[in-house]
Amino acid sequence: MLLQIVTNGILKGGLYALMAIGMSLIWGVMDIINIAHGSFIMLGAFTTYWLFAFFGVDPFISLIFSMSILFIFGYGVQKYLINYVIRANAFITLILAFGIEIFINNLALVSWTADVRKVEVSYGASNFSFGDMITIPTVRLLAFVLVIVISLVFFYLLNRTNLGRSIRATSQDLDAARLAGVDVARTYAVTFGLGVGAAGAAGTLWSILFPISPMMGGILTLKSFVVVIIGGLGSMLGPIIGGLALGVTEALGTNWFGSTYENLISFTILVLVLILRPKGILGGAT
Amino acid sequence: MGNKALNNFLICGLIILIVSFFPLVSNNFSIRFGTDILMFAVMASAWNIIGGYTGYASFGNVVFFGIGAYITAILMEKAGLHFGIAYLAAGGAAALFAVLIGLPVLRLRGHYFAIATLGVAEAMKALVQNLDITEGNAGIYLPMLDLPVRHQYYFFFYMMLATLVLTLLVTYLLLNAKLGYSFIAVREDEDAANSVGINTTLSKTFAFALSGFFTGLAGSIYAYQQAFIQPGPAFTVQTTVQMIVMAVFGGMGKLFGPLLGALCIEMISETLSNYFLVAHTLFFGTVVILAIVFTPKGMIDLITQHKFGIAYLLQNIREHRI
Repeated sequence: MLLQIVTNGILKGGLYALMAIGMSLIWGVMDIINIAHGSFIMLGAFTTYWLFAFFGVDPFISLIFSMSILFIFGYGVQKYLINYVIRANAFITLILAFGIEIFINNLALVSWTADVRKVEVSYGASNFSFGDMITIPTVRLLAFVLVIVISLVFFYLLNRTNLGRSIRATSQDLDAARLAGVDVARTYAVTFGLGVGAAGAAGTLWSILFPISPMMGGILTLKSFVVVIIGGLGSMLGPIIGGLALGVTEALGTNWFGSTYENLISFTILVLVLILRPKGILGGAT
Repeated sequence: MGNKALNNFLICGLIILIVSFFPLVSNNFSIRFGTDILMFAVMASAWNIIGGYTGYASFGNVVFFGIGAYITAILMEKAGLHFGIAYLAAGGAAALFAVLIGLPVLRLRGHYFAIATLGVAEAMKALVQNLDITEGNAGIYLPMLDLPVRHQYYFFFYMMLATLVLTLLVTYLLLNAKLGYSFIAVREDEDAANSVGINTTLSKTFAFALSGFFTGLAGSIYAYQQAFIQPGPAFTVQTTVQMIVMAVFGGMGKLFGPLLGALCIEMISETLSNYFLVAHTLFFGTVVILAIVFTPKGMIDLITQHKFGIAYLLQNIREHRI
C-alpha cells in the first residue's frame, strides 16, 4: 500500500518536475518569474487535445507538435514583448507576465469555453503490474519515461552545445557575453522559447492524465513555484528533485490527511522551505 | 507647515468634500461602483506602503483582505459583536498576522519574498477551506445591516471613503516622519540602511503590518457589504493582482498613485465590460501589458512630468529594452 502511494507520488512528481524545468530555466537565466507559465502549460494541453479531437493524433506523438508550437510562441513573446522591458525593475516583468497570463487565459476561455475536456486514448485503461504490490497505468509510466527523456535532452542542450554555452554565459554576465559575441536578445528569446516549450510538453502529458480547461493554469503556476523553490535554482537536478519531493509528499499527505489538504501541504512546504532553506534543499544553508 | 503643504491640504479637503456629495446625487448602482473604486484604492494604497515605499513586492496581500473579512464574519455572526468592534478587530488581526508572518518572511528578498507571500496567501486559503470555525467552502453568512436599502449604500460608501482618507493620511504623516524615511532607505539600499543604524527589521515589519491593517479594514467592510463570504473569492490571487496592477498603473511609491490607478483601472474595466460582455477581461490583459511596456512609472509620472506624446512612451522602451 505505502509502496503504491509512493510510486504514484513519484509518477506525478515527474510531471511536476517537467513543469518546473521550464520555469527554472527562465527564472535562472533571465530573472523573470513567469507567472504565465501555467497558461503555457494549458496551451500545450489544448494543442494536444485539438490534434487528438480533429485528426486523431496520438497524444504521445503530438508532444512534438505542442513543444514546437509553444517554442515558437515563447520565442515570439520574449522577442517582441518581454525584451522591451527586460532591463526595468524585475518586478515590472513580473506584472507583464501577469498581463500575458490574463490575456492567454481569457483568449482560451472565449475561444474554447470553460468546458472541462479530456483526451481519452484507447489504451488509457491498461495497467502495468510489478508483482502484487504495485500497479501502474501504462499512460503514467509512458509519461514518466518521456519526462526523463525530455529532461536528458534539456541537460544535453544546456551543457554540451554552443547554444547552451551562450545561454549559460548570458545568465552569468550579460555584458561579458555580449562582448564575447553572443547575440543576447536572441539568446533570451531562445531561452524563453525553450522554457515555454517544456511547459508545452508538460501540458501534453497533463492532458493525457488529467482533465483540462482554460483556467487550469493558475494552480499549475503555483505548483511550479513550489517545485522550483524546493529544488533551488541553478541546476537541472533542482527541479527534478523538487518535483519528486513534492509529488511524494503530496501523495503521502493526502493519504494521511485527505485530499482537501493537498494545497495546504504544498504551500506550507513552500513557505517553510523559503524560510529555512531559501536556496532550496540542494543549495547551501544560509 | 509651509504654504504649499497648506494649499495641498485644502485641495485634498475640497476633493473629499466633493466626493462625499457623490452618493447624494447618484443612483444605487453608481454608489456601489464608487464604493468598489474606493475599496481598491484602499487596498492599492495599502500595498503601496510595503511594495512601493519599502520595496518589498508582496504577492500575498489578499491574505489580509481575507483575514479581515473572516474575522468580521466570525465576530459578528458567531460572537454577535457590533460591526464597529469587528471592523477594528479585523484590522488588528490582519496587522498581527502581518507581524507574525513578516518576521520570518521579510528576511527574504526580491522574488523570494514575492513567492513566499503568495504561498502564505494560498496556504491560508486552503486552511480556511478546511477549518470548522470558517465553515469551509460553504462560507459564512453575516447579519444584514439594519437600514433602508438606500442608506446601506450610503453607509458602505462613507465607511470606505473614511478608510481611504485614513490610509492616505497615515501614509502621508509617516512619509514626513523618521519611520517613513526608513522605509525608503530600506527600498533604496537595505544593507546601507542597516549599517547607518536603521533597525531595518523593525521598519519592514511595521510597513508590512500597516499594509495589512488597512487591507484588513477594507476586507471587513467588504464582508459586511456582501453579507456572505467564501474562501475562494476572499483569498483569490486575482485581488492581489488587482492591487498591484492598480498601484503600478497609477505610480508606485507615490502617495496618490494607487488611488489614481484604482480609478483608471476600474473605469477602464467597467467601460470594457459594458461594450464587450465576454471578452472584457481579454482587453484588460491587453491594457496591463501596454501600460507596463509604455508607462512603467505610472500615470502620476506621466501627469507630473507634463510629457505627453509618443516621445515619452518610446523613452521608456529605449531605457529598458535589451
